[in-house]
Amino acid sequence: MAGEIPEDLAEKAAIMREFGRRRAAGELVSDELYARHVNATNDRYTTGPEPGQTIPEFTLPDRNGDLRSLADLTGTNGLLLVFHRSADW
Amino acid sequence: MLEKNGVRIAAVSYDSQELLRNFAEKHAIGFPLLSDPDSAVIRRFGIFNSNIAPGLRAYGVPHPVDYLVAPDGIVIRKYFVPNYQHRVTASAVVLREFGDVSANAAAVTLHSGALTVEIGLSGAEAFAGQEIGFFAKFSLNPGWHIYDSTSIAFDDPKVVRQSFEFPPGPLLGGSFPALGSLLLKFPVDAGRTILSGRLSFQQCSEALCEPPETIAFELPLTIEPFMVPAPKK
Repeated sequence: MAGEIPEDLAEKAAIMREFGRRRAAGELVSDELYARHVNATNDRYTTGPEPGQTIPEFTLPDRNGDLRSLADLTGTNGLLLVFHRSADW
Repeated sequence: MLEKNGVRIAAVSYDSQELLRNFAEKHAIGFPLLSDPDSAVIRRFGIFNSNIAPGLRAYGVPHPVDYLVAPDGIVIRKYFVPNYQHRVTASAVVLREFGDVSANAAAVTLHSGALTVEIGLSGAEAFAGQEIGFFAKFSLNPGWHIYDSTSIAFDDPKVVRQSFEFPPGPLLGGSFPALGSLLLKFPVDAGRTILSGRLSFQQCSEALCEPPETIAFELPLTIEPFMVPAPKK
């Protein structure tokens, strides 16, 4: 994918690559690089539906391939729906 | 804690079903892990992270939002910490939503003159980088009041951000609760530790005000160890 990175993301991509390379190699990640990485990742963040609004409908497979949606996931008082990066890193 | 209060958990990531299955088995995850491999639901929620260039491993990840959703789909509250390595603890959610704390969470009772304050943490354990909750239950003898300059502050290097919500206006005799939160530093050494805080207040009767007071207190907390990924060979 080299060369296809949009210009406005190139600087962030460079920071993320250096952070990822150091982490994977077990090298020290300086506080400064860590902070730059976090800032690059969180720039202009969005947090989706606000309290009082309704979440979009969704149906997604779980680890066993069963399709799940809010109705069968929720408890009597609700559901804590957690969005996370990856379980692999 | 959440389950006891009628709230279930589900997690969404762009990981494949197979990866999630392996992860869930390895770490005995007890709640559903949902697979959104093309980030379609992540986009629909409006939390697709557009800072990450196509081709990078993280392309497709969401901003790390936790929603507490009612059974009818209405958002009750959002928990969001901009740093993706920081999360709110389940115990902090339960304290805020249901006023319940973990059975083994630390609490202290402070007493001075007409005022008694019980201060406690939402849970006994947390990971570095997590947000934990604390409560303060104030009790004042009749005829006395304290002002909204009352503060609880943790002057502790392990706490990087904190809030304390005291009801506005002077508080007259009686009992009232207040809530706060603490964001723990990342990283912090795992193990048993102590959080140091200070309660500052001034109590007055109609006839006189006592001098302002500050009472130091300590609350024990266990910092849980992270699963450290094995070095790549």
